[in-house]
Amino acid sequence: MPFRAPDARAITPGGKGRFPGFDVLDGVEHWDAVTAGVVLARLDPQPEISFFTVTEQATADALFDQLLGQDAPPKIPVLQLVDRRLALGQTDGWRYEDMPEDSVAWRQTLAALDVDAKAAHGERFHELSWNQQGTLVQAVHDAEVWHSLPGSQVWSLWTRYTSTAFYSHPWAWNEIGFGGPAYPRGYKALGVDKREGWEVPDHHSVDPVTFAARVERAKRRHADTSGGNHPVSQGKR
Amino acid sequence: MTRFSDKKIRARNASAWLVPDGDNRTDHRLRGDMRRFADDDEVDIVIVGCGAGGATLMQRLARAGWSVVALDAGPFWDPDADWVSDEAASHRLYWTEPRVITGDDPVPLGSNNSGRGVGGSMIHYAGYTPRFHPSDFETASLDGVGADWPISYQDLKPYYEAIEEELPVSGQDWPWGDPHSYRYSPQPVSGNGEIFLRGASAIGLNARVGPVAIANGRFGNRPHCIYRGFCLQGCKVNAKASPLITHVPDALAQGAEIRANCMVSKIEVGDSGLASGVTYFSGGVERFQRARMVAVAGYSIETPRLLLLSASKRFPDGLCNDEGQVGHYIMVQGAPQTAGRFAQEIRMFKAPPPEVSSEQYYETDPTKGYKRGFSIQTVSPLPITWAEHVAAQGHWGEVLREYMRDYVHWSTLGALCEFLPRYRNSVTLADEKDRHGLPVARFFYSQSDNDTALMKAAQRVMEDILKGAGAEEVMTIDRFAHLVGGCRMAASPNDGVVDANQRSFAVPNLYITDGSVLPTQGSANPALTIMALAARCADHLIAGSRKGQRSQLVGQ
Ligand SMILES: Cc1cc2nc3c(=O)[nH]c(=O)nc-3n(C[C@H](O)[C@H](O)[C@H](O)COP(=O)(O)OP(=O)(O)OC[C@H]3O[C@@H](n4cnc5c(N)ncnc54)[C@H](O)[C@@H]3O)c2cc1C
Ligand code: SF4
Repeated sequence: MPFRAPDARAITPGGKGRFPGFDVLDGVEHWDAVTAGVVLARLDPQPEISFFTVTEQATADALFDQLLGQDAPPKIPVLQLVDRRLALGQTDGWRYEDMPEDSVAWRQTLAALDVDAKAAHGERFHELSWNQQGTLVQAVHDAEVWHSLPGSQVWSLWTRYTSTAFYSHPWAWNEIGFGGPAYPRGYKALGVDKREGWEVPDHHSVDPVTFAARVERAKRRHADTSGGNHPVSQGKR
Repeated sequence: MTRFSDKKIRARNASAWLVPDGDNRTDHRLRGDMRRFADDDEVDIVIVGCGAGGATLMQRLARAGWSVVALDAGPFWDPDADWVSDEAASHRLYWTEPRVITGDDPVPLGSNNSGRGVGGSMIHYAGYTPRFHPSDFETASLDGVGADWPISYQDLKPYYEAIEEELPVSGQDWPWGDPHSYRYSPQPVSGNGEIFLRGASAIGLNARVGPVAIANGRFGNRPHCIYRGFCLQGCKVNAKASPLITHVPDALAQGAEIRANCMVSKIEVGDSGLASGVTYFSGGVERFQRARMVAVAGYSIETPRLLLLSASKRFPDGLCNDEGQVGHYIMVQGAPQTAGRFAQEIRMFKAPPPEVSSEQYYETDPTKGYKRGFSIQTVSPLPITWAEHVAAQGHWGEVLREYMRDYVHWSTLGALCEFLPRYRNSVTLADEKDRHGLPVARFFYSQSDNDTALMKAAQRVMEDILKGAGAEEVMTIDRFAHLVGGCRMAASPNDGVVDANQRSFAVPNLYITDGSVLPTQGSANPALTIMALAARCADHLIAGSRKGQRSQLVGQ
């Protein structure tokens, strides 16, 4: 098949996931052609970076890895996917009155992150250790106002673009057990604990601890590395 | 198989029989053969916007023999070629022209709000089609909040029934508001719906399957739903109702013209005080369509914006805005979303997100410290939307990934809280301009204490339902949904922009026929009500035309 090398089955970002052997790309022949076109394009070699400057590129790449916990290969090319969207000016249209337009906000916030990094450690953001970077990112999350921008809105900008890029990629669907495009095949097995023949159950044995324990573990690891106290369940608007 | 009563529906709206049977979703010949008017033909009516309100009005008037041109800023969709079974690539469905949001509680727009293109926002709406309750039409009298409509539920009831048949709607017998039944039996429920029903019964809450605008079975040439779960990305199957397949085909067959990719920039009003047509951009060229009447149906943001953009010597503050009403009393519904984690696999991405709902808490409960209420419905976020839910808890990095890896175990409910109309919540013009050189909309929103209390109460009930069903962890995010109001209907020009028949108080041949006319919103999703109102407005116009339009205009 043209869209992946023969040994490239069931890839998940960082090799993580709970659905061993599950590969949404096995279903490509069941997808309609228009959908297959847009999804498979995400697997193509990505075009050269064109929106971010070289300086911004290094910072953005490191920031995106932090936001999405991409600390090991294979990596979803979030940098390229976000860059292309910004180059095309494909915004959500709206913006907060106290925020600049998205493309300007991206340049401004990446530069500000480097300012923070220099102030704290005398180096640029991408040059810091994983843990140092995490601490700075958590500080943005926690800030009411950050470099005269509303912290929550910076956070919303960052997470909107990066989550959209990451969870649009078939490798992320493999990781979370999502079946991807479902037209024209559809679903037949509806209901709690029901699965289509081609769906793979969540393999508890991959990591035989309870969900609560897994999340606690991730939070601990996260707190160690980001130095921040990870919020537990209080949603923010 | 055609049911006996389908014949009656087909006789008044043949849309479901005009879409092709088979693998293609669009009759290209019907579109190719569409009647075309010239700009200087004075058509009976030009309609701005071809969504819920605009398309319904167009179909009704075309049936009555009116010459109708509908202009829409977006494309004339072909579901086969233009839509995808994919979240990120459905971006093209949304209105993404620039808008500015502000206020104490700014409301993010984009995917979660208005659409752009023939069919309007109903292309990517979920598909819930509840009626408003009779009380929604008189909240000021009953509860001392909100506003009374100049019409009652009974005025709208026959139009609810008609549109429910034309969409068509499926669901269980409905016990709330004005109790009624649906023509199509309820859909089978998926994991998410099952959890809601289980949790509801555990805590003694009444929940019902439906009402959704997806036939349980074939309807005309429209096939059965395939439970693919991408309703919010546009239904490639033609199973979920949208004006593109429920009203547009019949309108074309009856001689209406739809001009896609035409952005209306101004409603022209002559010295007579009557509207003479609209100015619009098509392919970068400014044009003018003459018309005997104008109807605006551009959604609660673009409709007030267009009126404000249509300021003139006679209307210096914006068309119909002498009383400062245009763009005000915009409402959103508070839409907190609560998810619960289950040991079993739910796989909420299967089946249409709209499945099960409850209106048990819809009405004012005198024992509570707040007025009005909320409804609860299944919502089933796909991965990107789900990541937003998780990220909004403050999770990022490895924690976000761990939650996301657990996607198949989560079930999600959403509430719709009736936020009250307030004058200060409004659309005005910003300094920023769009690529047409037109000032963009600035949308201000701030919640009231009653609004906030409703959000909290709804969250509690959703958490109880999910815990009742066995959830081991719950998490809630605060969201908003469904913008309506901004050019509300009222008994007098001091209180609104249009009268009981949706005719503007200021310009006798200018009508507004979209969600912006709603004075209150209940906790029901608005599309059915918007369509029913447009159908009622059409009846009023058709009755008036017999008498000769101008004399009726002046005489009334
Ligand atoms: C994600 C989502 C889920 C939803 N779920 C539900 C649901 O389950 N049930 C429900 O009842 N409602 C739902 N809604 C809301 C519902 O879709 C809208 O309330 C309804 O479609 C609004 O109807 P309207 O006629 O006011 O405007 P629209 O249907 O939005 O139509 C307006 C049209 O006008 C066009 N237009 C605007 N300005 C101009 C201009 N200047 N020139 C030319 N054309 C213009 C636009 O392109 C658009 O096509 C949902 C909405 C969203 C976004
Ligand atoms: S779930 Fe059904 S109604 Fe929804 S988009 Fe798919 S086929 Fe259409």
